Amino acid sequence: MRELSYLEAVREALRQEMQRDERVFIIGEDVGVYGGAFGVTLGLVEEFGEERVMDTPISELGIAGAITGAALVGMRPVGEIMFMDFTTIAMEQLVNQAAKMRFMFGGTIEVPFVLRTPAGSGTGAAAQHSQSLENWFVHVPGLKVVMPSTPYDVKGLLLSSIRDDNPVIFVEHKLLYKTKGPVPEEPYTIPLGTAEVKREGRDLTIVATSIMVKRSLEAAEQLAQEGIEAEVVDPRTLKPLDEETIFRSVIKTGRVLIVHEACKTGGYGGELAAVIAGSEAFDYLDAPIVRLAGRDIPIPYNRNLEYHTVPQVENIIEAARRLARGGV
Amino acid sequence: MATPVIMPKLEMAQETATVVEWLKQEGEHVEKGEPLLAVETNKATVEIESPASGILAGIRVKPEQVVPVTEVIAYILQPGEELPREAEIISLPLPQAPVPPPVRATPVAQRMAQDRGVDLSTVVGTGPWGRVTKVDVEAALSVSHLAAGVRGEKVRATPAARRIAREREVDLSAVTGSGPRGRIQAADVLAFTPAPMVVSEPVAEVVPLTGVRRVIAERMATSAQTTARVTLVTEADATAFVEAREQLKADVADEWGFAPGYNDLLGIIVARALREFPYMNARLSDDGQTIERLAAVNLGMAVDTERGLLVPVIRNADQKGLQAFGTEFRALMERARAGKATPEDLTSGTFTVTNLGMYDIDAFTPIINLPEAAILGVGRIQPKPVVQDGEIVVRQMWTLSLVFDHRLVDGAPAARFLQRIKQFIENPYLLLG
Repeated sequence: MRELSYLEAVREALRQEMQRDERVFIIGEDVGVYGGAFGVTLGLVEEFGEERVMDTPISELGIAGAITGAALVGMRPVGEIMFMDFTTIAMEQLVNQAAKMRFMFGGTIEVPFVLRTPAGSGTGAAAQHSQSLENWFVHVPGLKVVMPSTPYDVKGLLLSSIRDDNPVIFVEHKLLYKTKGPVPEEPYTIPLGTAEVKREGRDLTIVATSIMVKRSLEAAEQLAQEGIEAEVVDPRTLKPLDEETIFRSVIKTGRVLIVHEACKTGGYGGELAAVIAGSEAFDYLDAPIVRLAGRDIPIPYNRNLEYHTVPQVENIIEAARRLARGGV
Repeated sequence: MATPVIMPKLEMAQETATVVEWLKQEGEHVEKGEPLLAVETNKATVEIESPASGILAGIRVKPEQVVPVTEVIAYILQPGEELPREAEIISLPLPQAPVPPPVRATPVAQRMAQDRGVDLSTVVGTGPWGRVTKVDVEAALSVSHLAAGVRGEKVRATPAARRIAREREVDLSAVTGSGPRGRIQAADVLAFTPAPMVVSEPVAEVVPLTGVRRVIAERMATSAQTTARVTLVTEADATAFVEAREQLKADVADEWGFAPGYNDLLGIIVARALREFPYMNARLSDDGQTIERLAAVNLGMAVDTERGLLVPVIRNADQKGLQAFGTEFRALMERARAGKATPEDLTSGTFTVTNLGMYDIDAFTPIINLPEAAILGVGRIQPKPVVQDGEIVVRQMWTLSLVFDHRLVDGAPAARFLQRIKQFIENPYLLLG
């Protein structure tokens, strides 16, 4: 199969959906002429014109308000916020307006927008341009939260997200943009709320999100050389969560390592751990559930410190080894 | 009567107040409600009013003095009244938290407790008069901070280990944990085998419990565990019965192609008796709520085969003559012994006869073939001395055991049924009746 980068897969999904559905448009800072801060929307303004690829002033709240309003009147907007850190500025529209409207109007209206935003560290962009704030949105009823880890997933999940009638926070990862993988040319969808076992294994389950899926798979390869077979499960959408796939894996292996980049305290790993511990999988746990996550500090600018702030392959190997060998 | 003036508690957390100034002088007349003095708390300066009308006397605090709340600071006297004699010394006691009784502890225990931050009041003393000793403090220290307050011994085991222990009925307290801090892991439970209670003998051959053997095992166990069995034993004089059989053998064997045996004759007798006593031809309904008396008499005849015990069934046995009964019984027996019995051959029985007489067995107590109500165990026919008309004579005697389920039938009715069989055996001509 043809290979695309994660970034190209996002662009292809946008292009194909804009070709298919004229209600779809893109709005954000520098998404038009400049082609997006990371180049995701490069070339789209030439193809679809400035009416469908709209540059905005530097106002994230304005972008969030515009896509909320446009969605309410029947459009299917895709907003882009250049860094996830700045979704904090858009919170009022996202949390108090977009997430609530369908409920407060008794289901008579829909808010079908997607807000794309790149998260994560590793680019030396320091504390205000490196955060992973997905759990802020997981906490809000009415929002769906998607976090793809591969080029294949990002295309299929973005198409599903645009076609979904609810506001979807679509969290991409800056370091994943350049990663390559097989992506079918034709449009396809991956249903929201379906996890995927990215690698089968018997000794422990690693539940990882976004770039941590990639790092966990690399870790699993090295662990296999030591005789430890890790199963890697990617929830792909944090909300709604495909609990069954996770439970099935935990029941099989009896040990769980949760890996995410966001800060540990209040992170999604706590939610996952509680969901697992409260399920039928509890009776199959043969060790405490272990979380490996970002340190509870702002991402440092210094590249060495930045590196050691979030889980890396070697950290995953160490944690998995300890868990699988009964050290926890 | 002298009225004490008390430093009031003006705020929730107030413990003291500072006197700012007296607004009235010693010996001055005051009215109730008139400001007496100004005090300062952490938050405000407040004027304290007189609690009574009279003469201000016995002022005990000066400006800038810090005074605990509720302390008496002066008195209001009525004309001619004097200060209480104890006015110079009394003060209302401050309310205090109850003082805990001192903990008895040895000096070394006290020092250890102080060094290691142990609250001695939480330590149970085992010394004389409950004195806390060094050993007690050491024991308190060995309980981890997190586990403090947990009652009793708690086995540390993972959820998976607990589940497996539940499934295998393993007592976790007997399992050694290999996990961190001695935690029991799933593998520990799986590896755990309770020590055998007895040394087992070496096994020469292992026969799998399958097929007919398994069915027999299960059904016999179920019957033994669920029925209320009673066994009735009687001895019948089978002399006439044996003679009749010998006569038949001589007369009809050639014509019928087989010589009628004791089982054939007995089968006819039992079937006839069952028709007369329908409460013996009964079973408990599947739901256990009713007793069903069955329309047909289908007689099961236990047969020993290579595969094990089988019970072919002669349907409507009470409707059949000896020739038909014998012919069918032989065909069924042959199929059963050849391993060719059909399900139909082996089902729908309503009563079973089992005969071990050919193995010199006198009497036995068979297990009821569920869901039937009873089973007749047949022993050997043997010449025995018996008393007849005051004389000892030799007769052919036959022991019969009727095992019945007391849930369905009572003793006397069951005895009457067995008695009827005995009558038929002793007087075969009755079958003509």
